[in-house]
Amino acid sequence: MLIIRTENICKTFVTVEAVKNVSLSVDQGEVVAVIGPSGSGKSTFLRCINGLETISDGEIYIDEELFEKRVHGHPQVRISKERRSEILLKTGMVFQRFNLFPHKTAKENVMLAPVNVKKIGEKAAAALAEDLLAKVGLADKFDEFPAKLSGGQQQRVAIARALAMAPEIMLFDEPTSALDPELVEDVLHVMVDLAKSGMTMLVVTHEMGFAREAADRVVFMVDGEVGEVGPPSEFFTNPQNPRARQFMKSILHQ
Amino acid sequence: MDSLHQIANWMPALVHATGTTLALTATSVVTALALGIVLALAKISGNSWINKPATAYVFFFRGTPLLIQLFFIYFGLPQIFPELNISSRFLAAYIAFSLNIAAYLAEIIRAAIQSIDKGQMEAARSLGMGYGQAMRLVVIPQSYRRMIPPVCNEFIMVLKDTALVSIIALNDLTFQTKMIASNKASALVYVPALAIYLVLTAIFTIIFNNLEKKFSVYE
Repeated sequence: MLIIRTENICKTFVTVEAVKNVSLSVDQGEVVAVIGPSGSGKSTFLRCINGLETISDGEIYIDEELFEKRVHGHPQVRISKERRSEILLKTGMVFQRFNLFPHKTAKENVMLAPVNVKKIGEKAAAALAEDLLAKVGLADKFDEFPAKLSGGQQQRVAIARALAMAPEIMLFDEPTSALDPELVEDVLHVMVDLAKSGMTMLVVTHEMGFAREAADRVVFMVDGEVGEVGPPSEFFTNPQNPRARQFMKSILHQ
Repeated sequence: MDSLHQIANWMPALVHATGTTLALTATSVVTALALGIVLALAKISGNSWINKPATAYVFFFRGTPLLIQLFFIYFGLPQIFPELNISSRFLAAYIAFSLNIAAYLAEIIRAAIQSIDKGQMEAARSLGMGYGQAMRLVVIPQSYRRMIPPVCNEFIMVLKDTALVSIIALNDLTFQTKMIASNKASALVYVPALAIYLVLTAIFTIIFNNLEKKFSVYE
């Protein structure tokens, strides 16, 4: 069962073509890592999938349901607002800069959407939040405000917050890029656990270690296009695309 | 000692008039806050049927003198529409002040809301919240702390601007002071009047400082 399928999606910002004809699908339980140089359209592609950016052209299917189809920016499908948010709720998003709600504690951050969107009630939401925060290793931080947490802890709260809505797929937008090096490991550990538990994941990342170890497939994007797709064992040992080879070289030189 | 005695004699009348000043300030600021939030949200709206009228409202009420707005509501409206005869001076002043302050507060509130990081709205939307829900639960609560200092400023300005109502003979602190000054032919009354305004300003500054601290707990 394909959770995500995009057909030739394009995203143009005024004159800049950030994403060009990207067709990609993610199967249930699959972990797909999207890598590539900065400015290659990885994040924009990810943001198109959950509606934070509106595509200019192409089709997006979530659970094989056509969710967005546009030609030259004009919508070709009409979906009710309610159905649209129902479909979008199948995706959970983790941001580069965490975007925790600073006026809420860790637990309240996780509870907010279950209480107000799913209407599951304060008690059930609190139990859910405590369970998820414990799973990401923050059992002792329930009542801390985000400002009192390290970047790695904040990102783990953000992961718990997204999981609380029980998404079918988790989208990660460079989840470790804003973290101090020594905090990256904690977040990656949580993501690897999540992958092992069978969660479907689409991860835009610069962490080649994660892509190599945890991903089933690696997608290399360059200049808004998909340059190469393959299993990590092949991609990392013998990239075919010349730009991918160049990219790997520049990373190894760091 | 004689002047102290005089001032003590005037105090009941002055304190009574201070009640009018305070009541007018408080009622019009509260009304203006409600109206200001609506105007601010309208101005942020992408729909030009909603944001254009709000922008025009702010343009008009910020762009014309409060005193003339007050004259217009108290003297002008009854002439144009006899059925709109606002006989109560307080009511006329309350309407003029509320409408006027709302324009200023709308800009303060709009700026505070728009200063909240865009990622907050994105995170809320990605969790399934609608625009209104995201505004109400995530964005607006964070903007409170940022609007408190300028709202405090506005509040203190209003407190002193209410002196304008003495011109339509509403018995506020300034009107009462003027009455005593001319009836008793004594300029001494200005001293307690100034002191009362100063004390009120000090009290409100303290209240707003505490509010700011209260809304900053999470930072």
